[in-house]
Amino acid sequence: MESRTSSSHEMSFTVLSSAAPVMAPRVGTLALAGRQALATPNLVPLTSRGTVPHISHDMVRKETAIKNFYVGLEDFIERKHPAPIYSVPVKANESPLKKFICLKNDDIVLLGSRRFPAIACPPNNTETSIAISTSVGFRQLESSRYIEAIQTLKPDIAIGMADLVIGRAPGLKRRGKMVDRTHAYTRDALDKLFGPSVTEGKPRSTNYFAPILPLDNAQQSIYLDDLAEEFRDRISGLALYESASLSFISESLSTLPRLLLSEPTSPHDVLREIALGADLLTVPFLQTCSDAGIALDFTFPAPPATLARSEAQPLGFDLWSSENTKNTSPLADGCECYACRKHHRSYFNHLLRAKEMAAWALLQIHNHHVMDRLFAGARTSIERGTFEQDVQDFNRAYVSDLPDRTGEGPRLRGYQMPAAGPNQPRRMPKVYGRLDDLSQKFAESESSVATPDTDADGLEKHGFAGKV
Amino acid sequence: MSTTAQPARKSMPSALTFDLHGKCSTTKARASTLKLPHGSVPLPIFMPVATQASLKGLTYDQLRETGCMLCLNNTYHLGLKPGQEVLDAVGGAHKFQGWDRNLLTDSGGFQMVSLLKLATVTEEGVRFLSPHDGSPMLLTPEHSISLQNSIGSDIIMQLDDVIATTSPDHARIKEAMDRSVRWLDRCIEAHKYPERQNLFCIIQGGLDLELRRQCCEEMVARDTPGIAIGGLSGGEAKDEFCKVVDTCTGLLPENKPRYVMGVGYPEDIVVAVALGADMFDCVWPTRTARFGNAIVDAGTLNLRHQKYANDFTPIEENCECACCRSTEQGGLGVTKAYIHHITAKETVGAHLLTMHNVHYMLKLMADIRQAILEDRYPAFLRRFFSNIYSGDKTKYPAWVIGALRGVGMDLLSD
Repeated sequence: MESRTSSSHEMSFTVLSSAAPVMAPRVGTLALAGRQALATPNLVPLTSRGTVPHISHDMVRKETAIKNFYVGLEDFIERKHPAPIYSVPVKANESPLKKFICLKNDDIVLLGSRRFPAIACPPNNTETSIAISTSVGFRQLESSRYIEAIQTLKPDIAIGMADLVIGRAPGLKRRGKMVDRTHAYTRDALDKLFGPSVTEGKPRSTNYFAPILPLDNAQQSIYLDDLAEEFRDRISGLALYESASLSFISESLSTLPRLLLSEPTSPHDVLREIALGADLLTVPFLQTCSDAGIALDFTFPAPPATLARSEAQPLGFDLWSSENTKNTSPLADGCECYACRKHHRSYFNHLLRAKEMAAWALLQIHNHHVMDRLFAGARTSIERGTFEQDVQDFNRAYVSDLPDRTGEGPRLRGYQMPAAGPNQPRRMPKVYGRLDDLSQKFAESESSVATPDTDADGLEKHGFAGKV
Repeated sequence: MSTTAQPARKSMPSALTFDLHGKCSTTKARASTLKLPHGSVPLPIFMPVATQASLKGLTYDQLRETGCMLCLNNTYHLGLKPGQEVLDAVGGAHKFQGWDRNLLTDSGGFQMVSLLKLATVTEEGVRFLSPHDGSPMLLTPEHSISLQNSIGSDIIMQLDDVIATTSPDHARIKEAMDRSVRWLDRCIEAHKYPERQNLFCIIQGGLDLELRRQCCEEMVARDTPGIAIGGLSGGEAKDEFCKVVDTCTGLLPENKPRYVMGVGYPEDIVVAVALGADMFDCVWPTRTARFGNAIVDAGTLNLRHQKYANDFTPIEENCECACCRSTEQGGLGVTKAYIHHITAKETVGAHLLTMHNVHYMLKLMADIRQAILEDRYPAFLRRFFSNIYSGDKTKYPAWVIGALRGVGMDLLSD
């Protein structure tokens, strides 16, 4: 077992176990001064406006293992500059960002320019700025302003700005531009943040993760060469946008932690990304499942009992299903998460049907727990040297796709879906202008006020009232 | 229609004990402890409303942390979802929602009449058309009690004939009052578990004090473990509301808890306590939280307002809820600016403010109780109204001054 360390004054990343420098799964520890150490590979929980969606801060602290948070700056930009987040009163060395969103000092914050996953913005990126989506509409985020934000907000890790094309494949000319612009953003940011070079022993204000574009190796080779040589001393990690990028990390960059901002579609995908050497991973399907009322249910490595079954097991189950109406078993057998300790499937089924927010809060806690266990299992498996075999077994033991969504989720917000183009159907039913009584009642039944969703026989069966 | 009490009445066991600890020497306020099957409840108390077996996004541990000992579920909603069959299969609402403290359920009659416009009340029960297939249905006092027996709540309410207090039809109000008494008898008869669930009667009679007196007399004779004053908080004038509460508490036995249904705002509660009421419930503190409103000593703050965007102070200085306490004190250090940032955009914004508001209401009740025990409730009231109206006595509402004067206290004197 070899151990290699990449370290700056404030942050060290130690690779504990790895078969090869690149394209191989590896176990490591990311340690930031004054922060809780993070074992890798690990999950990067995503936030929305500074919250882990649906889980209030006290529950995050008490009932989840979440200690690192991905935050998008666009969530905090308001109509006027400076936005409130820049004026948060703090003591020396406190991060205004963490203070504003009520995180603990030893929590780890990764700041990106945009939310993840970000929605496509109609305006174009420019030589000096990228288009962002804020709660007050589309805006441009100047690269200089993003650097100021990093300096003022003091995130533990800052993810460099990149010129990305979202929602479609960029053309040939655009790809060239992406590389040139990202190269320029990076050079500019490193010069402004650290000066031309890093002096040994001088504490860094932040740890800069340089973006690697979701393009071929050849297309961005000049940029990659600069990362490996000129910029190497000043960058603390790499931010990748697709798992394919893991294949062309050069020897010189291989000791840096790799943050993979991708959208895997299943735990199999996550394991594949780990196998390719990703250290920090995003898993947007975690929240998508919680919103859809789906409880994840898988264990890595797959337990012998699961392997012994002749049929592949589902990766989760839909709590909207009427099978759960009277089921008083926990979400997953033997699960130790808060939701499973305290509640049963019958209650979840009720909460979802009643559109109670607690459903999503509890499911988020459970699904985060299941994902945490997957990463913990992966680390042990890599250290033991059985990862490849364990992944094969896992792929055999479980079906390849997550369950389909059947029920409704919480109301979608603008930042969760692309802006509507012309002549598209409304994404939400009109809520104003219903003046007649009948449609008013219909609206009520759709929202908070309950009306029976069963017929007379059902009501009688429920003991609610009798037929006459 | 006769409402004279039947001679042979089913005896009424009680599953609670009520210990009166102290009374205000000026007003009619009382401090007591209500021992229920799932723990002791200090009175006066505010009960948060977990309508559909969930307190709007909070986990039950978060609710415990606010100090809540007793919360509400709605029989109407639980009857629709998940329904009696599921409640029976799971073993009652406590097990169903994972709440090991006390529950109170209303009868479902109020929602039935207010939500289903096609409902009509007959002697048998509430007649309505099933909204799905239009078949005629009947909800009787027996149905309501049977459902509440399945729910297993610690306090259950009789089905009453609810009409708006503002109704101009005096004959209808009298009919509703008389009918509520007759339905109470049917509820008592139908109640399967009086030794573990406490049935409360509901005093009706609109704003007519004479009808209220008759109703009190009839219902007190039935000797239910507790008594509710119903039909209020339906848009009547506040001084009328106070007169009804004052009249009823004057006729009710000292040794039983008195519950004013659907109230309410902090001002209404502190006055109703002075008039001798013990228990209150209202969806307002939790509902208003979801719209970004925080309850504080000075009234209500609409944190969506732009002026809070850069306000980095806690929601309420010195508040001890998990949100307002600083990180040094083991709290979350939530600021007005952060609530402004997330309210109505993230569900967590609702959760945090709901926690604050419920905590605020329960702390208010604890302060009221302490003041009564130390016999300084009038001083408490002076400070309370001074806080809300910034010391400007000319702004004090006339109904508050009048109601308190009626129980021997002059709010305007120092």
